[in-house]
Amino acid sequence: MSGTACVCQEIECREIEIDYNQLDKIIRDDYGGNKETMIMMMQAIQRVYRFLPEAALKYLSQVIDVPLTKIYEVATFYASFSLEPKGKHILTICTGTACHLRGSGGMVRHIAERMGIEPGKTTQDLKLTLETVNCVGACAVAPVAVMDEKYYPKATIATLNDFMDRLDAE
Amino acid sequence: MIEATQTALTPSEVTKIMSTEALAEYRQKLQAQYDPNAPMIYVCCGTGCQAAGSVDVVEKFREILVGSAWDGKVVPMIKPTGCHGFCSRGPLVIIEPQDIFYQRVTVNDVQEIVEKTVLNNELIKRLQYKSAGAKESITKASEIPYYAKQTRLVLKNIGRVNPTEIGDSIIRNGYAALAKALTQMTPQQVIDEVSSSKLRGRGGAGFPTGLKWESCAKQEGLRYVICNADEGDPGAFMDRSLLEGDPHSVLEGMAICAYAVGSHRGYMYVRAEYPLAVKTLTTAIRQAEALGLLGKNIMGTGFDFEVTISTGAGAFICGESSALMASLEGKVGRPRPKYIRSVEKGFRDSPSNLNNVETYANIPSIIANGGNWYKSYGTERSSGTKVFALTGNVFNIGLVEVPMGISLMEIVFGIGGGVPNKRALKGVQTGGPSGGCIPIPHKIPDINVGYGKLAEVGSIMGSGGMIVMDEDTCMVEVARYFVNFLVEESCGQCTPCREGLTRMKEILDRITQGDGREGDIELLEEIGKFTNNFSLCGLGTSAANPVLSTIRYFREEYEAHIRDKKCPAGVCKKLFHYEIDPDICTGCGLCKSKCPVKAISGEKKKVHVIDQSLCMKCMECYKNCKFRSVKIM
Amino acid sequence: MRVLNIILNGKAVTAREGQTILELAQENGVFIPTLCHSPALEPAAMCRLCTVQVIEGGRAKFVTACNFPLRRDAEIRTDSPEVRHGRKLIIELLMARCPSSPELQRLAVEYEADLTRFSSLNDDCVVCGLCTRACEAVTGKTLSLAGRGTAIHVSTAFAKISDFCIGCGACVQICPVQKISMEDVDGERHILLHGKIVSQVKLPRCKSCGKYFGPVIDLEKVMDRMGEHLIPPPNADTCPECSRHNLAVKLGKRYFEQYGVFREEGQADAG
Repeated sequence: MSGTACVCQEIECREIEIDYNQLDKIIRDDYGGNKETMIMMMQAIQRVYRFLPEAALKYLSQVIDVPLTKIYEVATFYASFSLEPKGKHILTICTGTACHLRGSGGMVRHIAERMGIEPGKTTQDLKLTLETVNCVGACAVAPVAVMDEKYYPKATIATLNDFMDRLDAE
Repeated sequence: MIEATQTALTPSEVTKIMSTEALAEYRQKLQAQYDPNAPMIYVCCGTGCQAAGSVDVVEKFREILVGSAWDGKVVPMIKPTGCHGFCSRGPLVIIEPQDIFYQRVTVNDVQEIVEKTVLNNELIKRLQYKSAGAKESITKASEIPYYAKQTRLVLKNIGRVNPTEIGDSIIRNGYAALAKALTQMTPQQVIDEVSSSKLRGRGGAGFPTGLKWESCAKQEGLRYVICNADEGDPGAFMDRSLLEGDPHSVLEGMAICAYAVGSHRGYMYVRAEYPLAVKTLTTAIRQAEALGLLGKNIMGTGFDFEVTISTGAGAFICGESSALMASLEGKVGRPRPKYIRSVEKGFRDSPSNLNNVETYANIPSIIANGGNWYKSYGTERSSGTKVFALTGNVFNIGLVEVPMGISLMEIVFGIGGGVPNKRALKGVQTGGPSGGCIPIPHKIPDINVGYGKLAEVGSIMGSGGMIVMDEDTCMVEVARYFVNFLVEESCGQCTPCREGLTRMKEILDRITQGDGREGDIELLEEIGKFTNNFSLCGLGTSAANPVLSTIRYFREEYEAHIRDKKCPAGVCKKLFHYEIDPDICTGCGLCKSKCPVKAISGEKKKVHVIDQSLCMKCMECYKNCKFRSVKIM
Repeated sequence: MRVLNIILNGKAVTAREGQTILELAQENGVFIPTLCHSPALEPAAMCRLCTVQVIEGGRAKFVTACNFPLRRDAEIRTDSPEVRHGRKLIIELLMARCPSSPELQRLAVEYEADLTRFSSLNDDCVVCGLCTRACEAVTGKTLSLAGRGTAIHVSTAFAKISDFCIGCGACVQICPVQKISMEDVDGERHILLHGKIVSQVKLPRCKSCGKYFGPVIDLEKVMDRMGEHLIPPPNADTCPECSRHNLAVKLGKRYFEQYGVFREEGQADAG
């Protein structure tokens, strides 16, 4: 089985292929179709698509028999879920207390300005998503930036500019 | 939920342990494999050190150690461990048996360490630790004041065991307390022992653990044992270190609790932001199950206890007990509006015992050594030790475990090494976003850290975040930061928290922007008291604490922002400017070279000046002036 | 059942164990204001307007009357200065969101709310959650509280027109600030949330009179949810008026057959 779901963005209309066999594997095999593990199923789905496609959630709703509106409620409640496609690269800047005291707020503003996106948003070319997180627990090496799951301790605006330069070169 | 994936057991041929005697035998067998004189290299692989490159250091050690010819010498062993706690100096390497401490080790240092230190007992000066201002470097880890002044009960294994090898834990008496409880004690005796230790919940509220277990054990029907590992307080990472560094102590504590309250199912709710902790735990559970230390018929005693890991998805509120249980059920993590405790009706509406990671990790030693032993640490009302995450403007950042009742000044100066950059201490924030700022040393000379004392000065113990703030910290900005955090993390269901916090943020925003009005302080106090009384859950009823405590101790700073439109600490950009004091300036030119916008002019050895129209208040000149001639005006 | 001795605003009364403060107050003629409460639904304690002070075992605390179960002897103050002050703030905060609500306006007068302290948000929803709980009680498939913190809002899945709404209108009936509305247009029922259509349900045409009528046909879904899917929905194709009429005629005929008396419709008792 396979189907498409339309994810309309401002510039163009993108079609996302949904692999229902893969969804079945996540929902039924990995988590036994158990409603209580819905949050983790959604995390697994997000790992596949880098966001939560509506069609995938509709399918999830049918398989585990949870109303779609309840799934939407969960998807909009937890900060790690995204209903919009995320960028190819994800830059997360920690804004926990220790990082905040060492200027992570300025780093967020800098990247937001340079890339022209608000924190939590993705660039139009889907290259970068800028996120903030309330503490990754690495306060000793504050401020911390996490680029594509790799931690960068004692990050500076210069460190971040390096990433952005590399992205621009891609 | 998350099933453990393939992991190698150590040693791999082990079969299930079917009696407590078999566990003791297995421990002896493992101990016999170790030569106490053999060199052992411990490399910290906690999140902090990993971020600083410790995994590469371990790999390099392995590569060199395997590739070398040892000519009959004992081959050194390399051990990647959990967080040693001294994160600001990472990556850390400790070499036993000499207890040599090396800091900030890079891949390029590894060859030298093996050749000089491991093989020839020669020290490498540049990698050694030096206290601030001291001339002599310190060789042994145990002599570094940061470690020497701590009392490590709960952190005792961290840094000494490889968290992915259960054998390491077993050698250090892992699961011995569980064996003792299962074979030599009744559930009631276990509860009595925990009660007599006077251990109080380490997650925040400080509820007596024994009492909680007792009321859970009294309930009928299926019971659950749940571990709250949703450590959401920004600036706190005690639980992360425990899970990443010594997962078996936590699991053993949960199993003992399950036996005491009569449960067979355990859940571990870990926040999604801790991927390494989830991975380590998954491995630990799989290994313990393979050895028969968890799962069905534990150690042949007939007692079953299974633990499942469940992960959060990014919501601070899920640290609240009823929200956590809703989230465990796969729902939105909103606190339940019920005046029923979770030990009566919690997860799946069944009696549930919820404790946090550090609480469970304390249990094995209490059972092994007795409640009286534990009580001998700490004070009458706050027994035992507490792990704090010491961060902020302090030399030694990391985890510190100290007996309750210790002086706060001793933590900041004795262990933390004081405030860097010759700045003065302004206060210490404890208890995370629900806590308060304690104005040591100026307004309160010092306090003894305990549940009661912290509450007295308007703060809380919380889960153990301890943020040191120096004179350059603006208390209004700090309050605004925490309120902003809580506005983002409020679940939004009840009016006082949702609307009240939003308005407090609005007011604090305008004060820090220079638009504060007369009456704003009073309005903040009014809303703050209201949200503390009228909100639905623990988050709401403590949300105003950072604001109320900063107003209580730093009211004049609020007044300066509102009346004089000045930020005395030089943080709120619209409310100050820098000036160079002509009497102090030596004309060294450092500020001029550091200024990114070329706003500073002046000839060498002559007084420099700042062009206010260009200055963007980035703080570079202020931070870098060796003579402190740059003044906040 | 244990009987509890309660002092309610200085007056000694008795309560049943487990009874809520709101129930006790209503029995004793003491009015406690509520916004998010409906006797038909489980309390959610979201608006906090019904907060009162309870003194149990010497300790005073603030609790919500709608869901606080009385378990021991206690003193309750439903109208103390602290309670009144907190309610005043709740009203001021909610009025800033939803200034047009007559219910809030009435409360604002009673509690002497100062409506100048907080700038207007013009959101028009007080987030009481009644509509979502009513929906939950019927099918649970249409409305939920999406988002969190200040972004919390009533929504259908993906804020789109719901495929699952049965058009029962429970949300419309229960909304205390009248921000959900319903209109039947051209054989379709529309439910509007903040003026935006969130549900379009086809209405059946009555086989007797030919008028469009309420979406009774979807009773099947309700029955299904209640585990009574084997019972066929009665009179699914007849509008309520015709149903009543037909039933009356049927009953009347039976009465006539038994007693020989029958009045045609319209020939009411003239006396």
